[in-house]
Amino acid sequence: MAASSVRANSARVLTIGFFIVFILVPLYWVVVTSIKPASDYLTTPPVWFPAKPTIVHYTAALFSYRGLQGLINSLIIASAATALSTVMGTMMAYSLARFRTGGNHLALWVISQRFLPPVAVILPIFLLFRRWGLYDTRIGLILAYAFMTLPLSVWMMYAYFRQLPKSLEEAALVDGLSRWQAFWMVATPIAAPGVAAAAVFVFIAVWTEFFFALILTSRYAFTLPTIFRAFLGFQGAQYGEACALATVSLAPSIALGMIVQRHLVRGLTLGALRG
Amino acid sequence: MGQSATANSPSAASAIRAGGASAWADRHFKWLMVAPATLLILAFSIYPMLFSLWVVFVNYDFQIPGHEFVGLQNFQQIVNDPLAWSSLGLTIALSVAVVAIEFMLGLALALAMVKTFRGRGIVMSILIIPLFISPVIVGQSWALFLQRPFGPADYLLSQLMGRPVAISWVGETPWVYIAILLADVWQWTPFMFVILLAGLAAIPPHLYEAAELDGVGALNAFRYVTAPQLAPVMLLALTLRLLDAVKLFDVIFMLTGGGPGTATYTTSFYLYQIGFQQFHLSMATAGSWLFLILLSVVITALVRRLLKAEAA
Repeated sequence: MAASSVRANSARVLTIGFFIVFILVPLYWVVVTSIKPASDYLTTPPVWFPAKPTIVHYTAALFSYRGLQGLINSLIIASAATALSTVMGTMMAYSLARFRTGGNHLALWVISQRFLPPVAVILPIFLLFRRWGLYDTRIGLILAYAFMTLPLSVWMMYAYFRQLPKSLEEAALVDGLSRWQAFWMVATPIAAPGVAAAAVFVFIAVWTEFFFALILTSRYAFTLPTIFRAFLGFQGAQYGEACALATVSLAPSIALGMIVQRHLVRGLTLGALRG
Repeated sequence: MGQSATANSPSAASAIRAGGASAWADRHFKWLMVAPATLLILAFSIYPMLFSLWVVFVNYDFQIPGHEFVGLQNFQQIVNDPLAWSSLGLTIALSVAVVAIEFMLGLALALAMVKTFRGRGIVMSILIIPLFISPVIVGQSWALFLQRPFGPADYLLSQLMGRPVAISWVGETPWVYIAILLADVWQWTPFMFVILLAGLAAIPPHLYEAAELDGVGALNAFRYVTAPQLAPVMLLALTLRLLDAVKLFDVIFMLTGGGPGTATYTTSFYLYQIGFQQFHLSMATAGSWLFLILLSVVITALVRRLLKAEAA
């Protein structure tokens, strides 16, 4: 019995240890390369701790590769899309949860949008964006991302409202508040932690998205992830610049992810599991 | 209702108007609340879909002027393209492979993590990092990590195996498939892990206590308690992940570019090439319709399942 529990314990430690190494090593390589001088690139054995760290790759990535423009675009687009998606999603979720609006059909229709392959919807959107003058505009991408993330915000908030008691809103209605006031002044403040978590998940989804931005933008409204195209094939061996840009892009979303860690299960399953 | 409007309005006439509008808004409250989101989704799904139903039957091609009616020709072109079939085959094979690997690794990790220990919080934070990184960066990072002469992967392998290793990670099959698997497994094993861990944590402990009293060993406890209790959560994790896995694009785009040759074309990458590199928009639209129809069977099943979980 004792021997088998020791075996089980060491298997546990080995499994966890393996994954920590597996996850951290490539990540560490990218971050450390972003501060390596070019002379450290091609050595054998590889340099894991650069003796003379440098920030030149960051300035090059931000200014020579238009990383700064991408960063600003990503911030504006992700913030605006998050606001739109969260507000519209919370409104819809409230109605679905409290009034079963549209029966099951409306809720199902919203969530099925989440599983459509982007490649199947992007072609007509691309053609229509060109007709409507939305191609390569921030507003176009903001609308597209609000659409893309609505299933997430609606379903996360739908699950959230369903577990909130109705009694306070009912009391508010008895006190003479309109349904709008009951929603806006009573339900929303109570649901604020849920709204905040949903907003962060939406922001991360938009911040990390590539495909829509690749197709719907070009020289002006491009986001951070699309800049990585410039490094395809590494013809000019801009390893440091690529890694600096990657670091700039992944740091904020990882930081946000850590904040909503508690809500992760709900975020990943669109509210189906509580965790 | 509308009392506050009445109380605040300066004249009786405007009070009635405001009261009327707000009473109307209150009566239709539940529909007004769903209207903005519904309109946006309609604008981005139904309207483009109807538009694309026209596109598939005409010739919408940036290389050919005009939009002549061509019937089913676009569908024929797709169905007759061997690359469409091989990319679909690869999409299915890769999706099944990554989902199976991620499921088994995620389950092993969840079983290892389910008991509390010192430092579990920090370990948890590390294990979920990949979920918050753009797949483009994941593809890019693995390209950097694996590819010679820059990447340290071959060096690390040669240290482990005690002999020189020189693998052409993105230039040769089967290594290129392994590279894709590595990147995908790195990013999405945490997804399986997090969901399965939540499922494991929700199993009532008294079931295990009862099993122990009955003298059931660890393996049988897994078989008779864990597996059946976890089955619904497993199914949820598997279907959610599978529906995302079949979209595989970003990693292909950054890591292999579909190469060597067309060896790593997935359906998404293939349709992107046809539509946005060769600009055969009608042909690509026809292909995406076929892909969508194939997937809709699976999507419908999953959506039903999600709703049941919600009702429970």
